[in-house]
Amino acid sequence: MVQEKMNPTIEKILQNIERVMIGKRNVAELSLVALLAEGHVLLEDVPGVGKTMMVRALAKSVNANFRRIQFTPDLLPSDVTGVSIYNPREMEFQFRPGPIMGNIILADEINRTSPKTQSALLEGMEESSVTIDGVTHKLEKPFFVMATQNPIEYEGTYPLPEAQLDRFLLKMKMGYPEIEEEMEVLNRAQVLAPIEELEAVIDLAELRELQQAIKRVTVDDTIKRYIVDIANWTRTSTSVYLGASPRGSIALMKAAQAYAYMYGRDYVLPDDVKYLAPNVFAHRIILKSEAKFEGITAEDVVLRVLDRVPVPVQRLVK
Amino acid sequence: MTRKEKMKSDALTLWLYLCGFLLLWEWLRPLKQLTDTNNVGVFIGFLVLSLVLSYFQVHILARSGIRLLYVIYTINFLYYVGPFFQFKWMGILTSDLVENMKLVFGGEWTALSDSFRSLLFYLLLVLMTYLLRYWLVHRKQIFIFFFMTLVYITVLDTFTPYDATYAIVRIIILGFALMGILTFYRIMDREKWQRQPGFVRKWLTPLVVMVCASVLIGYAAPKASPIWPDPVPYITSYSEKVDNNGPGGRSTVGYGTDDTKLGGPFNPDDTVVYETEVDARQYWKVETKDEYTGKGWVASVENGLRTPFTQEDTYPFTNYLDPEMEVTKRTGIIKPQVDYPHLIYPLGLTSVKDNSASTFEIEENLEKIYLVDNAASGMGEYVVEYDTPKFSVQAMKNTVDTSNPVLTEEFLAQYTQLPESLPQRVKDLAVEITKDQTNWYDKAKAVENYFDRTDFQYDQKNVATPGRTEDYVDQFLFDTQRGYCDNFSTSMVVLMRSLGIPARWVKGYTEGAFRGLSENDQRTYVITNNNAHSWVEVFFPEVGWVPFEPTKGYSNNAQFTYDDVSTETDKKDELEAPVAPKPEKPEAKEATTQPKKSEFTWKKLWEGTKDFFNKHWGWILGAFLSLVAIAYLLYETRIKWLPHYLVFRFRWRKKDEDFPDAYFALLNQLNRYGLKRKEAQTLRDYSEYIDEYFSSKEMGALTANYERFLYKGKLEEGSWEQTRELWENLIKKTTS
Repeated sequence: MVQEKMNPTIEKILQNIERVMIGKRNVAELSLVALLAEGHVLLEDVPGVGKTMMVRALAKSVNANFRRIQFTPDLLPSDVTGVSIYNPREMEFQFRPGPIMGNIILADEINRTSPKTQSALLEGMEESSVTIDGVTHKLEKPFFVMATQNPIEYEGTYPLPEAQLDRFLLKMKMGYPEIEEEMEVLNRAQVLAPIEELEAVIDLAELRELQQAIKRVTVDDTIKRYIVDIANWTRTSTSVYLGASPRGSIALMKAAQAYAYMYGRDYVLPDDVKYLAPNVFAHRIILKSEAKFEGITAEDVVLRVLDRVPVPVQRLVK
Repeated sequence: MTRKEKMKSDALTLWLYLCGFLLLWEWLRPLKQLTDTNNVGVFIGFLVLSLVLSYFQVHILARSGIRLLYVIYTINFLYYVGPFFQFKWMGILTSDLVENMKLVFGGEWTALSDSFRSLLFYLLLVLMTYLLRYWLVHRKQIFIFFFMTLVYITVLDTFTPYDATYAIVRIIILGFALMGILTFYRIMDREKWQRQPGFVRKWLTPLVVMVCASVLIGYAAPKASPIWPDPVPYITSYSEKVDNNGPGGRSTVGYGTDDTKLGGPFNPDDTVVYETEVDARQYWKVETKDEYTGKGWVASVENGLRTPFTQEDTYPFTNYLDPEMEVTKRTGIIKPQVDYPHLIYPLGLTSVKDNSASTFEIEENLEKIYLVDNAASGMGEYVVEYDTPKFSVQAMKNTVDTSNPVLTEEFLAQYTQLPESLPQRVKDLAVEITKDQTNWYDKAKAVENYFDRTDFQYDQKNVATPGRTEDYVDQFLFDTQRGYCDNFSTSMVVLMRSLGIPARWVKGYTEGAFRGLSENDQRTYVITNNNAHSWVEVFFPEVGWVPFEPTKGYSNNAQFTYDDVSTETDKKDELEAPVAPKPEKPEAKEATTQPKKSEFTWKKLWEGTKDFFNKHWGWILGAFLSLVAIAYLLYETRIKWLPHYLVFRFRWRKKDEDFPDAYFALLNQLNRYGLKRKEAQTLRDYSEYIDEYFSSKEMGALTANYERFLYKGKLEEGSWEQTRELWENLIKKTTS
């Protein structure tokens, strides 16, 4: 990728995050893309690679209200959304908001809890509001969920249904740090946890402005066509049972807009689309069982499609 | 199976079937004319029915049933009286079939009944439709059938009266169309294309253009006349000779003295009249005639003066006027098989000898030699001595008019005689044929070659006799154009005479059929009545009488030398072998397009163009080929010169809107250079690759600019001006 000048605000946020996170710039970037595009992120990885640290750093950088929900099998929906409790002194029910009433929420190990509780969170993600005892509570804006899940093969998990997976703008993996990076992590761990010193770079109002600005990033018809082509190819691929939905195409476009903005452009390039497509589409594609047996992953399918869909290099003739 | 289903329903396949049907129809068309097949329509109907059933893929049982019904019904309709539904006739049909089967196994083909033949023919058609379907739908190859059709039609055209002029054109169109469509199918199969609506149109448009263009060009282009003489007269005469031991024919062909009423058909007669031993093949003269009556030939002097002529005398009429004439002394032995009072003799006769010291008389006017005492047992074997001349073309070409003193008025009057009644259009035609020629020889050749036109056909059977008011020559030249030697030779003499060139009509025999070498290594020939022939002699003041052979399928035995020839036109003559028939000169063909010249300007334009092409085709072909070669070279080396051209071209295009074009030209050039961009590769990715390759930064900058244009829809002002230098640098790098 040609080194481009990043949007200065975003560069600052990223640098801020990097103060506590060693390496993993791409994860930070993608998280920021989801935040700016008003989407949510599903992080799939083993414990202890710094997921929480990432989200907390992000929340601190944008001065957001950070909440964390640790999902357990016995967690109830009301533990997520909040509950009305009778106050004998005031002789009335008082609403005590749950952890969902924050700006940036880390939903840890979301696949460890029952589907009922999962859906409470997912509803909030979709509707930006929760209904408790017949009262609808609007969620604060920005509202950003970063859910983590252990790889599905692990025991004692409730895999998220495909329809709900679709609600996440991006799905990504964190991965282990490089050797030098991990050594640096150890070095830092010897002194005070740096996360406490982190200061906000922007406030929520500025973040909302950024979110508006992203909507103005130009997506040319050629790019839209490219996105639709990719989605279409995933649908016709032989190893795919169910391809990317139109919602997936929308997600890809929004993510690409955010990504383009991040790199200081007010128009989307095919490169943006290409870069983001595996993260946007992979969790929306259901493979045929034959393909799974052959060891093909959804990422492979998307990458293969990207290798074949022609990039638009001329203006569309109408 | 799915593919077959697909083939079934689309219109292109319908076209395939239609073309296939038309091609098959071409096989049936000549039947009516050439065989005694009637009701061809019934069979064509059957063909249509079979193909329609096949197209709609009617189930095999239903298909067979319907066709069987059709066959039975038509056979009933054609051969049996009585209503179809009275099944009495079925019994007759069955017994008929049984009878015929017996005949088939007995090998008595000719005894088969008509109804059975029709049945067999239906069977053949069923086979053909099956094959057609097999070729079209399964094999998707038709070339063999197409080629067979062509061969079939051309053979018919050559050897039968069937005129395939337009059939050939039709077959070519159909064949090309079929092969084009089938190639399309084959490619689709091979590449496993999904059928898309645009495909067919995209394929068919160039196909139609190609077929139309090739047919039009083929139709319009000048065609070389046959290199070989029309083989039909040869083959027929050959087969007649083979049939030698058959029952004797009626003597309607052969040598007769009465030529006053020419025309009409005649039957072949292979009675042997002479046997000869000579060392070269040549024609045998009997007599010449000089007066044309409009219906035939007579001698201008009846019972003319006879000069005695002994075995010691030199034959008085072989007086070559050219003293330097190259001659070959020859001797020939003639053994008459039939009692004729006259002798046959070769060109350039000097003396005649036989064992019995006979004497002869010559009738001067006819140049005919009689045996004086023909009351005796007839002429035995006799020996002729003769000088075979080599006529100098140059000497003949020297003659352009009648100014030579040798040509006395009397002589001219005798040998340019024509009847008053001769229609003017004959004279006009003569002028038309020879309008480009100046000397007598070229004129004679032009007239001689005129008869090589395909309009003229050699025929012994369908030959007309002129009516009371008609002229024999006029009828042949303008109406029938069909005839044998008398028609051709008389016509040539008349045409020559109407130009004022002395000419006469010669009768005699051709060399006959070669029968091998004799003991003393002489060539022996057998001359039958079928070899009776007539030809032409034209008089040239510096040379004498020179034979010409206008008859189609015959060749002149006289020899010509071209020694002194230096001009270009003569060389052209030289190219044409002195042995006629020669490929007709395009000019002659051109010049003789019907006397009634049309005023239609298109036609004139067409003629002019044709003429131009005829005259300059060598240049045109050369220019075309070199253009093609240059184009090919330019195309092959474009990677070298194209960048320079591009730089030059875009130097004058300064608007920002030109930038995308320039960028795209650069992409193409890089592609040709070998730095290919994969389809799924983004421009940015590609530009990095390019910049890495050339260790430059230009491509990145240009690409960023182009991206802005392409994905934002906006070009920054002055962007082309700023990046032009980068662009030029980069494009120049691809030339090194």
